Amino acid sequence: MSRRALIPIVTGIPLAMIAIFVVASRWIVPNATRQDIMTGVTSPGTAGHLFGTDQLGRDITQLAIAGAGSAVVGPIVIALGSMMIGIMLGTFAGYMGGWLDLLLSKYADLLLALPTTLVALVVTGLIDGGYWVTVLVLIMLFSPTDIRMVRGSVIAQSGRPYIESAKVLGLGRLRIMFRHILPNVLPVAFSTMLLNVAFALVSMSALSFLGLGVGPGVPDWGRQLSDSRDLLDRNWGSLVLPATLIIITAAAINLLGDWLQERFEERSVQR
Amino acid sequence: MDTAHSHRRLTQLLSRGSLTRFIVVRLAATGLLLLVLSFVVFALLHLTPGDPARNLVGVRNVTPELLQSIRDKYHLNDPFMSQYLQWLGNVLHGDFGESIRNNTTVTTLLSDRVTLTLQLAGLSFVLTVLIAVPLGIAAAWRTGSVLDRSVSVASIVGIGAPTYAVGLLLLYIFGLWLDIFPVYGSGDGGFDRWWHLVLPAITLASGLAAMVFKLTRTAVVAELNQDYVAFAQSRGLSHRQIRSLVLRNAMIPVATSLGLVFAFLFGGTILVEVTFALQGIGSLLAGSVTFKDLPVVQAITLLTATVIALTALAVDVFYYAVDPRVRKRGSR
Amino acid sequence: MNRGLYLSNLVVTGPTGLIVTRMDLRLEPGQTVALVGESGSGKSMTAKAMTGLLPRGVTATGTLQLDDIEVDLALGPQVLTDLRGKHISLLLQNPFTSLSPVHRCGEQITAALAPDLRRSKDEIRRRLDEVDLPERVARQYPFELSGGMRQRVALAASLASNPQILIGDEPTTALDVTTQREMLDLLERIQGERDMALLLITHDLGIARERADRILVMYAGRLVELGEGADVFAHAQHPYTAGLRDSDPPLKHRLVELPAIAGSVPRPSEVAVGCVFAPRCDRADHRCRTDTPELIGTTSQVACWKPITKADTPHLIQIATDVQAQNTGTDLVVVKAVSKRFSPSAPLALDNVDISIRLGEAVGIVGESGSGKTTLARCLIGLESFESGDISWMINAPMAQRAQIVFQDPTSALNPAMTIGASLAEALGVGQRDKSEVPALLQLVGLPAEYARRRPHGLSGGEQQRVAIARAIAPKPKLLICDEPVSSLDVSVQAQILNLMNSIIKELGIALLFITHDLAVVRQVVSRVYVMNNGRVVESGTMENVLLSPQHEYTRQLFSSVAGK
Repeated sequence: MSRRALIPIVTGIPLAMIAIFVVASRWIVPNATRQDIMTGVTSPGTAGHLFGTDQLGRDITQLAIAGAGSAVVGPIVIALGSMMIGIMLGTFAGYMGGWLDLLLSKYADLLLALPTTLVALVVTGLIDGGYWVTVLVLIMLFSPTDIRMVRGSVIAQSGRPYIESAKVLGLGRLRIMFRHILPNVLPVAFSTMLLNVAFALVSMSALSFLGLGVGPGVPDWGRQLSDSRDLLDRNWGSLVLPATLIIITAAAINLLGDWLQERFEERSVQR
Repeated sequence: MDTAHSHRRLTQLLSRGSLTRFIVVRLAATGLLLLVLSFVVFALLHLTPGDPARNLVGVRNVTPELLQSIRDKYHLNDPFMSQYLQWLGNVLHGDFGESIRNNTTVTTLLSDRVTLTLQLAGLSFVLTVLIAVPLGIAAAWRTGSVLDRSVSVASIVGIGAPTYAVGLLLLYIFGLWLDIFPVYGSGDGGFDRWWHLVLPAITLASGLAAMVFKLTRTAVVAELNQDYVAFAQSRGLSHRQIRSLVLRNAMIPVATSLGLVFAFLFGGTILVEVTFALQGIGSLLAGSVTFKDLPVVQAITLLTATVIALTALAVDVFYYAVDPRVRKRGSR
Repeated sequence: MNRGLYLSNLVVTGPTGLIVTRMDLRLEPGQTVALVGESGSGKSMTAKAMTGLLPRGVTATGTLQLDDIEVDLALGPQVLTDLRGKHISLLLQNPFTSLSPVHRCGEQITAALAPDLRRSKDEIRRRLDEVDLPERVARQYPFELSGGMRQRVALAASLASNPQILIGDEPTTALDVTTQREMLDLLERIQGERDMALLLITHDLGIARERADRILVMYAGRLVELGEGADVFAHAQHPYTAGLRDSDPPLKHRLVELPAIAGSVPRPSEVAVGCVFAPRCDRADHRCRTDTPELIGTTSQVACWKPITKADTPHLIQIATDVQAQNTGTDLVVVKAVSKRFSPSAPLALDNVDISIRLGEAVGIVGESGSGKTTLARCLIGLESFESGDISWMINAPMAQRAQIVFQDPTSALNPAMTIGASLAEALGVGQRDKSEVPALLQLVGLPAEYARRRPHGLSGGEQQRVAIARAIAPKPKLLICDEPVSSLDVSVQAQILNLMNSIIKELGIALLFITHDLAVVRQVVSRVYVMNNGRVVESGTMENVLLSPQHEYTRQLFSSVAGK
């Protein structure tokens, strides 16, 4: 029990740190992207460079702090956007059924027939979009699972006596959907959203690792990793720092999401 | 008479609950899904910004004659639907056109590389199943134990960790630092090939194993909480008998998760092949996308979809074999 | 040698405190002992402790003596491993979950046999024959069988290793009344043939009264009274036993008011000192609240400082003459020839059903599961459509003010995300009533006005059902439909709710449609009744007439299945 109570603290510390980086990186590391060709690649521990520098002489640490923004903001937008679509469409599809439900479930089937990474790669690659186009594409790719999740919970709630009572009271559909059903779906939706942030983080950085999404020169963890392949023999810091940051952030969000989900499940059992 | 007889025979074959009907219905659904996907994949050519003909020319010098010959070759002036049908007809004969980047047919290009990807995927899948399923069962049997807690935490890290980051770290540690495994490349066939595939396969399996572990554990825990387990204990059944009861029931959700993993497996190969510079289908796709080598992209996308759809079909047939309830209901 | 089982000083402790306190129990070969109690009494935990199947985090202490084997329960559940099956076996409540869904029945029955007998066709046939099942069942899967047949398979499985002691934890509760009787008869026969001891754990006083040689009454984790057979209830000494007996509705007559026990069952851990029943007992004095009474007596024992004796004036129970159905009243709703099918291949769920309800009249529908009684109610309220026939309302009002409904499960009857006040205010709004009426509405259903600010999950089942009733009457409907409103409540709480419903329909002058499988319950509420079977109304008439001279074969079968009344 006590071990599980530690989870919000254990995950909160790294997440708070990342959040500070995202909000304040322009003041913490104003010169992160400044190039210093003279220096070139240096290994970790070189004077003033904790994790060394890359081939353009940029400080790995500063670059990683500056990269927190593009690593985290997009995924948050993706998770939020796809859950908003999920809630709107999933609620309607789940409660009303009919052609909308059929159409949405077929759309989801179609998208789930292919790996997300593949579709994201092909679509963003072919249309040459920037960061926000990638975000948009990922929202489209994430939304079917969210629609399904919300739809499932809405259907589970709709059969419960309190919803049937609301129907018998003659309450309007919108009122039943948004006042009665939705508040009971939101907890699950929130924890799913959190897990989606982690998944989106990995997907976004994977795309920039493949050279898509983030424009050249923009600080980004995925791109740092991609660059590090050529520096491995000279500066292991270029690999270890961004890799650790991605892994820790994703794991912390996942842990927190899992913990929340379990708590919500326990609460609904107690009811 | 004869038609009546064959009609009766057909109705019998397709009657509710028969395996044939089940497979026929499933096959039809799979076929339909692939048909729709093929349409979307074909449409990629026209959805890609710019003139399709120009896109198909690639980096060659664009001359009006060349454009015209491309248009003729790909029937780009025909109505959309007829272009699609011609393309589909070729695809069904194994002809995906010519690669823009390399001057060979897509089919040759793919057949050179498909073996490596299949070897990588196969090795990862075997690793995943051998590691994750037993661990998941063991953890579920002793929830809260040190084993359960440590593997559960590791699986959360594993699920969140991006494949390529893990790959690069392994590459650095075992390839460069400890110098046990080769760093890049696909090896020279035979044992050397497999030796080159060890690190990539471990990389790919790490994320998948985390997922399969979690799903297996959840499935077994759910079964252990069922009344039939308590009832079996109360009747004095041996530990071994109870384990076989539980595993037989848990097998159904676990098999589903393994089917699901397949989709992730093929998504993962792209990143792993790029990370380890392996000459497989995945790295070919990544390169082709950047180069806008559309025929190759179309072929790989459709191929992947087919493999995944067939896996889903296999999982369904497996269901039918092990779950009597599904058999009773027939095709859902 | 001392044959039989002797459990002494059993204490079961869970994560939140005591679950069972100092419990003694004796079982002799061929004897049936009933362990009776409401939810939370600890009766199931006693069974689990005796078989070493306590859930994680729950521990037991005490000794279990079986013939000449003595086991110290404090050593952990594994000490019972060797006793399970061969000596003690446990039959669970739900036949739908106690068998593995993907294994054939034959395999599950013989699993506990010696390996060389597992494949023997004769053995399987013999085992199935013992529980009156045909041989084909061996090759079938549980989902292909009815509930009653599954429970027989489970029984055969639990008997596989020929135990001396069988514990049945509510073994017939999930079954229909008629199937229930068959199952109990079967248990009795097998018990006699095998000279086996049977511990019957049940909440149903009727079953205990009819089947048990000895009855033990548990309350909040303690044994409060025990004695020989039906005597325990007839000459109850403990006020709780008497209260339980009195609040169990009789079938023979209708009472003006059911004698209910106020309040609800506490958790055993909530009662630190004194008699566990003192807070709900009208005889309790200072000593009852400070000192814990021990079980005293010889053949019958009671744990009470002020037991009821013959000198006490018995509770005056008023028998009411059944309310005569007024043939003159105006119709409220008439259902004519309504039929419904859930799918083209399914049998008719409703088959040409005719019923009518008059203004202000209380009508019952009685039937077992699958009779169509709930489907009819759902058609009436508009939650379900029907294929043919006609439902005509004789009043001109919006649907919400014609009829409202109360469902069976109180725990999901209310929106967990809304306060009680908000739920009620919304329902009042439907009837153009102001939310300022919420306190009055709560008072009407016997709840304090402060409950308006609370959320449903902190309320007991009885309280939640009271709120559900308040919400249903808020729009002032002309008809209140209650679908098994008390069947998931404890007996003592059930009486409170039945009294409440009687007083509400009288006070508001509304009609009631009461749907239930329980004849004694419906007897206390309605004046006219319809009996349904397989989607058809097989009999109808005044409650008294139907009860005294049932015409249809099915009705007679239903009545004769009611246990111990």
